[in-house]
Amino acid sequence: MRLIKNTQLRWVRDNLFSSMGSTILSLITGYMTIVAYRGTVGFILSPMRQWSAITYNMQLYMIFNYMEEESWRAWASVGVAFVLAGITLGYWNTGEKKSFNQIAGGLFKTFSTLSLLVLFSPSETEIMNNDGSRAMVEVISSNQRINFLIPIAVVALLSFLLSRYSITRVFNKTKVLLFYLGLPVALGWIIKIPTITFDAAGARIKPDLFLPVATTTTIPWTILYGALWASFFVGQFLQKKEIKSLKRTIPLSWLVLPLYLFSWLYKKPVIELNKVLMNDIPGFLIFSLIGFLIIRYITDEKFSKYRNYLATGFFLATAAILFLRIPFLIKVLTFSVVLLLLVAPSLANSKEGKRQLLIVWLVAIAVLTFLLRGSGSPTGIITPTGSFLGGFSLTWVLAIFGTYVSFPFGVLLALGRTSSLPLIRIICTGVIEIVRSVPYITWLFFASVMLTVFMPEGIEFNLIIRVLIVTAFFSGAYFAENIRGGLQSISKGQYEAANAIGMNPFQRIFLIILPQALRAVVPTLVGSVITAFKDSSLVAIIGLFDVLRIGSAVIPTQSNPVNFVGTQLDNILFIAIFYWIFCFTFSRRTMKIEKKLGLGER
Amino acid sequence: MESNSNNKSIIVTRNVKKWFGDFQALDGISMDIKEKEVIVICGPSGSGKSTFIRCINRLEEHQEGDIIVDGIELTNDLKNIDAIRSEVGMVFQSFNLFPHLTVIQNITLAPIWVRKKTRTDAEAKATELLERVGIPEQAEKFPGQLSGGQQQRVAIARALAMEPKIMLFDEPTSALDPEMIKEVLDVMKELAQSGMTMIVVTHEMGFAKEVCDRVMFFDEGKLVEENNPEDFFNNPKSDRTKLFLSQIL
Repeated sequence: MRLIKNTQLRWVRDNLFSSMGSTILSLITGYMTIVAYRGTVGFILSPMRQWSAITYNMQLYMIFNYMEEESWRAWASVGVAFVLAGITLGYWNTGEKKSFNQIAGGLFKTFSTLSLLVLFSPSETEIMNNDGSRAMVEVISSNQRINFLIPIAVVALLSFLLSRYSITRVFNKTKVLLFYLGLPVALGWIIKIPTITFDAAGARIKPDLFLPVATTTTIPWTILYGALWASFFVGQFLQKKEIKSLKRTIPLSWLVLPLYLFSWLYKKPVIELNKVLMNDIPGFLIFSLIGFLIIRYITDEKFSKYRNYLATGFFLATAAILFLRIPFLIKVLTFSVVLLLLVAPSLANSKEGKRQLLIVWLVAIAVLTFLLRGSGSPTGIITPTGSFLGGFSLTWVLAIFGTYVSFPFGVLLALGRTSSLPLIRIICTGVIEIVRSVPYITWLFFASVMLTVFMPEGIEFNLIIRVLIVTAFFSGAYFAENIRGGLQSISKGQYEAANAIGMNPFQRIFLIILPQALRAVVPTLVGSVITAFKDSSLVAIIGLFDVLRIGSAVIPTQSNPVNFVGTQLDNILFIAIFYWIFCFTFSRRTMKIEKKLGLGER
Repeated sequence: MESNSNNKSIIVTRNVKKWFGDFQALDGISMDIKEKEVIVICGPSGSGKSTFIRCINRLEEHQEGDIIVDGIELTNDLKNIDAIRSEVGMVFQSFNLFPHLTVIQNITLAPIWVRKKTRTDAEAKATELLERVGIPEQAEKFPGQLSGGQQQRVAIARALAMEPKIMLFDEPTSALDPEMIKEVLDVMKELAQSGMTMIVVTHEMGFAKEVCDRVMFFDEGKLVEENNPEDFFNNPKSDRTKLFLSQIL
């Protein structure tokens, strides 16, 4: 046993072959893994498969039938997100380093695994002929295997040597990550995806012809990748300049971004200029003035006496005009004034605070005006089926936007359910219990059929927006129950300590209780987000075209210009991999965040 | 002690009564506490001493009687409660620091949000207070990384950051190891000598003998004996006090 000096070998001995029982278990599971792996690879490489169904229909998968000439909107949305991501990475770059040896070690792990995978891959697989008989066909010839194996093994060996060689050079961790992201983009230039085409009778011909789809997206992705790097350097530059206001602006931009991008995808508003001049601009000015006056005088002694009356007054006004035929925008803005009156005293306590609150107010009412005018005006984007999004972009919109809306809603519901005011508690408990006791699919039917009845007159939402509304309620209720668990885990002492230093209930909740409660439930919240992401595929039932429906019903029925009939298996495997990649990456990333957040606990 | 009698009363309670369900926790507590006085409250567990000081800043609500703190009567009026809470600092048995904030954030939180100070002012004051309680080097740590004694000293600094007129201590050393008790008591002694009005619920009789002006003995919700420390320990008036002292000394 002394011969085993290598640490890796020792790990294998200690963990896999430490006793008779574990040796048997290791051998059995190892054998089963190899069988499963060979089966999967055989399935993927089998000539029965038609992966061109996916490469050819990539555009369908991404944006479905969003108009070709408007597809730049989708690209631009991704671009805006990339630029913001780059700036964020650059600005919040902690300067964490990765040594050369670590990188080489990582490469060695990856490539040694790869060479094992190539080594164990099957050389032939079973196919079914037209007459139902089965036959074995070769999928990887021994020449091909060697051609793959040699470069991979060389890289593995080189990286192993480099990881042992003492090189003191270190690299910025974020830059290494960005570099790795470039590899798939580079692959787009190097590898052309071989596809199979068909003759008029439907027989396969010319086994390696290149279809254009894989290459046309190479250029936009390359541009996006370049933008990512450029904005990364901009972010680093801003970090060096120590521009502190970005610390608040960047998270705020991330909050606003989905809303903005969504409206960008949804609408090409046909805006009537006279309505904007007559209604929107005067309305904006009046409400900015109201906000300015409130923020300016809110901390004034004389004014604070009347604050509660004023808030009640505005609230009653909102309630009253709810039944009048006044533009929906005015109703929303009046209600915002009530919120401002409630929030302002604790936020506008200094000159700096007043300035910031005023900016937030102006931005908020500008965005509200823009969104409501936009949603009320006809759109220039018209798609054949009426649902303007489909495929991955629909999944993303439902997942991201659903979470963005339902999370704050869930927080409010949880706070309401634990509130000491009986009326609020009963209403919130009622909402949560009603929403949770009805299946999601039922709510989706509610969205597609009934929700229009409950909308204010003159406002008609697209099906996708109605789905988002019920999703906000549905996942909001689940978020609320998770967060309530977190709220209950906070000891009574924390409330007492906050009271004893003179905090008001608002400060107590948002500075002391919620930060701790949310931290305690991060793992369950991540679970809820992943569930919401996967549940979004249920919208296929009410007639929306999500990836699953495209893969199982749309593509397998195509026969013109290319015949893809009967490619369900290929498509569904692809979709499964897509979901797996995103869910796995997401849960891995958040595990790291959890660790960081745990720092303050104990 | 003579000098104190000239000062005006800062806390006045008259016939304070409180029930938890059927159980009567406080049964007619009346006392006058003068400015700059240091009061120690002791008594067996369940005697209502913690409940009493928690009534002073309305962590518990009293059901009968009057409590007047610095001329403000404690009623259901939220404004009065806020006014009193910002003048009364409190230190808890279980520290109750905010675990998600660093030491310096714990101390500056209330001055910034309640007293509306600027961050720089609040941080300067917090650094000064941390030096006063003897742990300036721990400012950037989280409470979970400190020992019990250090946490309690941070809690004292947090209460002091609001510049209170009165400090309430609810068994501040009961959750500490014997070795750490001394470091907390030293801070409290220094605070008493600087002229702070203090009400301390404690079983540390050494502290009572050395520092305080008056000792109050509670039993079954009643104020059984009120005496200066010398007489309290050497010739107590009531039999109940004698029994209590014989058991703990």
